[in-house]
Amino acid sequence: MKFIPLVWASLRRNKAESALTLLALCVGFMLFGVMIAVNAAYERAIDETRMDRLIVACAFDCGVIPVGYAQKLARIPHVTAVGAEVWTGELAENQHRPPITVTFVDQGMRSAWPELPMTPADWRALDASPSGIFLSRKAAARRNVRVGDTMILNSGPGGTADGSGTYYFTVLGFIPDPPGWHAGPSDTIVGNLRYAQSWGRPDERDLVNILRLAVDSPENARGVCREIEAWYTNASPALYCVPARADAQELADANINMRQISLGIGAAGLFMILFLCANGIAESVRERLPEFGVLKAMGYRDGHIALLVILEAVIPTLLAALIGGALAWDVDALVAHLALTGVIDMPEMRASLAAFGWALLASLLIALLSAVAPLYRLRRMDVAAVITGR
Amino acid sequence: MSELRQIVAVCLVGIGSLRERFASALVVVVGTACVVGVLTSMLSVTAGLARAYFRPEDATRAMVWGGRATFDQMRSLHPDAIGTILDAPGIARGRGGAPLADPEFLMWILPVEGFAAGSLQVRGVGPAGIELRPAFKIVAGRMLRTGMRELVVGVGAARKFGLTVGGEVRLRDGSWPIVGVFSCGADIIESYLVGDAVTVMAARRRAGFAQVIVQLVDAKAYPAFAAWLTGNPALSSVYVERKTDYDRRELGMHTAFYTRMAYVIGTIMALGALFGVVKIMYGTVRGRTREIGTLRAIGFGATPVVVSVLAEAALLGAIGAVVGAAIAWLIFDGREMWVWGAFKLRVTPLLWALGLAWALVTSLLGGLLPALRAGRLPPVEALRVE
Repeated sequence: MKFIPLVWASLRRNKAESALTLLALCVGFMLFGVMIAVNAAYERAIDETRMDRLIVACAFDCGVIPVGYAQKLARIPHVTAVGAEVWTGELAENQHRPPITVTFVDQGMRSAWPELPMTPADWRALDASPSGIFLSRKAAARRNVRVGDTMILNSGPGGTADGSGTYYFTVLGFIPDPPGWHAGPSDTIVGNLRYAQSWGRPDERDLVNILRLAVDSPENARGVCREIEAWYTNASPALYCVPARADAQELADANINMRQISLGIGAAGLFMILFLCANGIAESVRERLPEFGVLKAMGYRDGHIALLVILEAVIPTLLAALIGGALAWDVDALVAHLALTGVIDMPEMRASLAAFGWALLASLLIALLSAVAPLYRLRRMDVAAVITGR
Repeated sequence: MSELRQIVAVCLVGIGSLRERFASALVVVVGTACVVGVLTSMLSVTAGLARAYFRPEDATRAMVWGGRATFDQMRSLHPDAIGTILDAPGIARGRGGAPLADPEFLMWILPVEGFAAGSLQVRGVGPAGIELRPAFKIVAGRMLRTGMRELVVGVGAARKFGLTVGGEVRLRDGSWPIVGVFSCGADIIESYLVGDAVTVMAARRRAGFAQVIVQLVDAKAYPAFAAWLTGNPALSSVYVERKTDYDRRELGMHTAFYTRMAYVIGTIMALGALFGVVKIMYGTVRGRTREIGTLRAIGFGATPVVVSVLAEAALLGAIGAVVGAAIAWLIFDGREMWVWGAFKLRVTPLLWALGLAWALVTSLLGGLLPALRAGRLPPVEALRVE
């Protein structure tokens, strides 16, 4: 405790410069915290996608596969559930408002894609009302709709059984956003496959875009995929199968790798403030050498002096890490809001205590590194020379 | 002594004493180097992609496509429409007097293990497609033969997916051999497998081309060309765009968010560096108080003192910018990357200039308040400082 007044006096010795150093450190730690959150958001988008869920699609770019394949795939060993899915999107010309793309699913998805955050009551409501839809939190926020509202989707001439291309939907409710990250501006709107098949183009009635499969364990995912591709290699259409998690990972790798980039930026930010902090401590020690000389002459041991210098480095960096972490928390919330409202397109960022923890750890590291050179100088200091001003 | 000479003299004195303030100067240099390094590294992705997409000749080219699909692989332009499109005015003539325009076909093929679906694509081109790409060159194996089920692979795709001459790729109607490897001046087509358009279409069982690349006689021919196509009742659902605009839109899909993010991060880092520069320059002025007092006492004006502090900040910022951009250039320039296509990261002269401007603005803003303080120092009081 006896060091605190000394440390406090040294920090207040040059208030303006101490405040500027603190501000720079705050910005550095805020950037670091945000980058940790960005990294975590992209990592989570992959981690939340499961390896024991398979995606089966047409192998050669044909876009659709017969829904009848579902029954055959369900009989493959280790497959526990199969669900079918088809998407219907709006005409590009109508996209003066957030575009609507409805994902029509069948009841098989309850088991094949249980991560779709719908309750048993939601599934029952969807089954009872074929033209009903559920909107994810993100989708609802972008469109400002209420339960019971009617939403209209125009898929273009010939897109429906009557040739009008118009689908009418009733909003049944809202669901949390499904895990993972869906690239692109569209977001999740779940509809009933029966409606798509009865009201969609007659020539596409028994066709779906993908089948989702659940397998009994992640270890069997690749094997089941290989088996499916082998079984359907000469079928028309042939099938392509990939575990959902591998698909998410590969998709992330095919784009600009934000996970690596965010860590690089965070490290650069820390490096920047390391020099500033080290320079501040070195200057402070250099200017106060006589003071340290007197302390040593009074009987302060090297350990005490070291503790004093380290505290001088630790207190501002720790404080900056706390402030920067809090700012990063706010920035994370802002980015999450922007993503929710469709202004930016990235996985959901969540402010986390882990980012705070990393920032605090980094602050300690920076403080210790900053104190190394001044401590070395103090150890080699000639007390008599310093006190006499030689 | 004229004011200009005073400015030069005081600047030289300040810069000459930088060695004594090496550690402080290093902080400004490292700070701005980090800012510029991060900014130029991030933007080297956008610059590299732009170089892969935009060719100088694109200014006189147009794209024509049919259908409203978001992905060009899903578009369809009926072969009957191609003849009509080639009749449009303003199309340049190639060898033999034929219109210099190439109907293309695009398709995704089965992803190689470990790569996302959609990464590997086949581009079906005709003879004019090669003529439209003067840099197209076979670097291994041989050129594909028209009408044959053969493919040549771009050097980018070959490296990324490990495809070689003699290898095979599965298409819908069976395996197609790879008979050659081509380069094309770092064009984005180097990320594709290339086949004969009509043969690839037959394999895909599609009747429609995806798009037509058209070489116009000059850039001014575009309005008449576009008006003729869009107003032609024989052509329905046909869209036309300058190739530069088309590519900008395509590129924007991959990079718009990322580029915005680069500038936001660059600004945040610059803010941190700015506080650092202010702090360091205040320290510099404090350290030079007696020197400044002496200069003022022997007749130097306040303006030269202010300018000398700003010049020192700018010099350090500029050195930091050069160091940051140089590090980014050394680490990233020319490194191959894959973002739905192979391209090389580019730290272009424009990025060097941007980094320099970024650093100069940061350091000058950071030096402003300390410089004003230095200019306002009363000489008598400054001389009393120990």
